[in-house]
Amino acid sequence: MRKVFVIILLILVGYFLTNTFSLITFGENRIGNTSEEKNVAAYYLNNTKEKTSVANVVTAIVVNYRGFDTLGEVTVLFLATTGLGSILFRRKEDEDQIERISKPSSSLVQTGSRILFPLIALLGIYVFIHGHLTPGGGFQGGAIIATGFLLMLISYKNFKAGHTMLIWVESLAGITFVTIGLWGLLTSGSFLENTLPGGELNNLISGGIIPIIYIAVGFKVAAELTGVLDILLNIKPKK
Amino acid sequence: MEILKYIGYGLLIIGGIFLFLGALGIYRMPDLYNRLQAGTKASTIGAMSVILGVGFIQPDWLIKTLIIVVFIAVANPLSSHAIGRAAYKAGLKPIMKTKMDAYEKTQNIQETKEVKL
Repeated sequence: MRKVFVIILLILVGYFLTNTFSLITFGENRIGNTSEEKNVAAYYLNNTKEKTSVANVVTAIVVNYRGFDTLGEVTVLFLATTGLGSILFRRKEDEDQIERISKPSSSLVQTGSRILFPLIALLGIYVFIHGHLTPGGGFQGGAIIATGFLLMLISYKNFKAGHTMLIWVESLAGITFVTIGLWGLLTSGSFLENTLPGGELNNLISGGIIPIIYIAVGFKVAAELTGVLDILLNIKPKK
Repeated sequence: MEILKYIGYGLLIIGGIFLFLGALGIYRMPDLYNRLQAGTKASTIGAMSVILGVGFIQPDWLIKTLIIVVFIAVANPLSSHAIGRAAYKAGLKPIMKTKMDAYEKTQNIQETKEVKL
């Protein structure tokens, strides 16, 4: 009876999926005519280079045109971290009872992770510094750095991600983001206005405030995710 | 520069053969340890020679591909070692016709050492 039900459900889902996707003809140009002025996608594609001098159009949309939305996303991540920390955080007096979940790893893994950690951190920093030139950006680079910290946390049992340092990095990054936004509000009348000179297209220092914001976002995401991992890996042993 | 290109194509073919053999090994081998062995060794050399071959065909990318090759040479055996050790610690016994478990002995020695320290 249950199997028949599952099969009927699968057939229904498949029917509606094919019905929906058959409406979209394969290989159709869904952006529309890019020379039209009213087309939003065409506006971004045609004007990003001249107005912001950023090679990566996606980054220009995420950080510049939709910069306020990105600030909201960062806030959501911050709130998630805060909630997790407030549930799972251990007080200082319990600190000697805290134990890492993971078992001690072999010396091979320890040595290897000591070699790999700087390389992973370098890759993450590269990804968020070049966010306005190549695919990737603050969120991706921050996540890469957090994986490096995860490697260290599971291979060294007494490796501690310093919480005061994490808090400082995160707060400074957030303050930088908001300060840049407020500066735009003061000087040219709208929040997160790109007031700095754009510079030359495809250069590392170009795009005005976009690389600065992405570097701040990268540090913020890295600090938050590292804090989450550190909290999740620490448990109190049963007495 | 033509010679470099042909070396690159040769490396690509070798890498492809090794990757295919690795996939075949994962499909054919009986238990996790054997599969890990086939998968890691074949895919390490396969991926390394494919990436190096791309570097030879496109000489602008040679330095980047060399860095990636070094990274794979460090990370790939390490991860397979960690997976194998974790499987052993979780209690997965290897399927073997000749009953031999050399790792168990080293395990006992290590544990006694840790107690002394």
